[in-house]
Amino acid sequence: MLRRLFTTYLKFIQIQILSQIQYPFSFLFDVFTNGISLLIFFLSLSLVLQRFDNVGGWRLGEIAFLWGTAEIAFGLMDMIFSGFDPDSFSVMVRQGTLDQMLLRPANITIQIFGSRFILRRLGRIAEGLIIFTISQVLSPIVWTLPRLLFYPVVIFSQILFFGGLFIAGSTITFWTIERIEAVNILTYGGNEMISYPMHIYPDWLIKFFTYLIPLIFINYYPALFFLGKPDPFGMPAFAPFLAPLAGLGVFLASLWFWKFGLRYYQGTGS
Amino acid sequence: MNAIIKVEHLSKTFEITQSQKGWSGALRGLIKPLKKKIAAVKEVSFELKPGELVGYLGPNGAGKSTSLKMLTGLLVPTSGVVQVNGLVPWRDRTKYVASIGAVFGQRTTLWWDLPVQESFDLIQYMYRIPDKRYRHNMDLFRDILGLDPFINTPVRSLSLGQRMRADLCAALLHDPKLLFLDEPTIGLDVVAKDKIRQFIKHVNEERKTTIILTTHDLQDVEKLCERVIIIDHGQLLFDGTLEALNNRFGGQRTLQVDFAETYPDVSIEGAGLISHEGLQATYQFDRDILSASDLISRLSNRYKISDLSVREPAIEDTIRRIYVDKLLEN
Repeated sequence: MLRRLFTTYLKFIQIQILSQIQYPFSFLFDVFTNGISLLIFFLSLSLVLQRFDNVGGWRLGEIAFLWGTAEIAFGLMDMIFSGFDPDSFSVMVRQGTLDQMLLRPANITIQIFGSRFILRRLGRIAEGLIIFTISQVLSPIVWTLPRLLFYPVVIFSQILFFGGLFIAGSTITFWTIERIEAVNILTYGGNEMISYPMHIYPDWLIKFFTYLIPLIFINYYPALFFLGKPDPFGMPAFAPFLAPLAGLGVFLASLWFWKFGLRYYQGTGS
Repeated sequence: MNAIIKVEHLSKTFEITQSQKGWSGALRGLIKPLKKKIAAVKEVSFELKPGELVGYLGPNGAGKSTSLKMLTGLLVPTSGVVQVNGLVPWRDRTKYVASIGAVFGQRTTLWWDLPVQESFDLIQYMYRIPDKRYRHNMDLFRDILGLDPFINTPVRSLSLGQRMRADLCAALLHDPKLLFLDEPTIGLDVVAKDKIRQFIKHVNEERKTTIILTTHDLQDVEKLCERVIIIDHGQLLFDGTLEALNNRFGGQRTLQVDFAETYPDVSIEGAGLISHEGLQATYQFDRDILSASDLISRLSNRYKISDLSVREPAIEDTIRRIYVDKLLEN
């Protein structure tokens, strides 16, 4: 059963990838521009930082670590969860593509995952890797075994976290028809927000992203662990390791909401 | 024989939020939305026997696509029963859709970027069609649908007619007992339409596939369907043979006569003379009042006739009269 789901997914993804590299030049150009525009943004920020020396007590290399990690994870998420991108999902519903998928004898969630796989997000991932490398040059991390093992877990948690938000955002369009901007504030805005040391934000915003939407645990707290920095909020010592819990929690809650939304779409949820 | 589709008191009511006028209306809408219930389908019941080819007709907004969505399992009805081959369409979606075929003329089920053949291969995988069965069907459909010239072309480069043929093939590869066709000839030229119709007829006759066809092209209906179901405003208006429909609501039949000589006055009791020019005259008459043979014998008693032809009322006229004049509503 699970194997079948996986093969189905791979078959769909294969189609997506093959059709995108059909025109190699335009594909590579896409990847390049996608990455370069974000890199320029980071470089301009580093120029500003050079004048001020630090942001909230964090040096450029340390911020680059936050930034690079967030970019790698978000790029991967944006690629894997392309089908659930609320912007394109709402179009899919309106054009009846979702109905066509529901007429096929295969798991609907897998079909949507397999319906889009935007390879040019590799540009964003590459940009993240470059910024990560810069961070290791400016403020090298001592990669102890626990840190080495935990780093992929953090990336994975961020993918689940934002992927979950994508799914929730798409589900909302069952009711709103059009995509809603508030979701983009959480996804794209959230990604931006975790690229800085979060203690620089106003108190109420930090509280919001700690207790309501636990953004703070997926990048900032793990970074405290990697960089060996003290916790300014005095959370329990396990706080840096809550990332997988936050990621999985948001993802599973969104999947549940998605199932509920689908039932509504088919006319039983209301 | 047992029914393949059983529909009982099928109803679907949508609740829609109405937008209200002006700023005050918009504000009121935010606080207390004005909800309105719309019955898209009301108490529709019918049964289909295996092997039937039924035209499911109605004007735009009649509730056709809502019914079709319920029959294909995309939508759950508000109330009522649907059983297809013993399955409830919306309950076990994957199992159900594996047993039916569906072609929606406006959209394609194929993968836009894939060559036609690769799309079919993917369908074989999804529907778990055994290799032997798949090859057999593939060979057959390639032949009768003439797929070979474009079998390796990506779907996005196909003409509308080619795409429709590919879509029909895709919908039938897994040997569904039941096929839903929604506007299968829309936008096609006369020749392409004819090809599609021949194929539909072939599938129905040779493979005994039960087919539900919705269309606005009444030529499709005339050439393919023995039975029609007409709905409007969500209600079933008529369910019966095309012939019965014509008998009940058919307009007048016409008789065209070529006389052997010129006559100054060719009017006759029981039929209306609608044109008379030279040797030719056209009459209109009602089958309930006068049979064609009576009319002809009356005419030939009085005049010398060289040729004549009777024309049945066109289904198009009949349907138009049902939609426009609301013949079937109380």
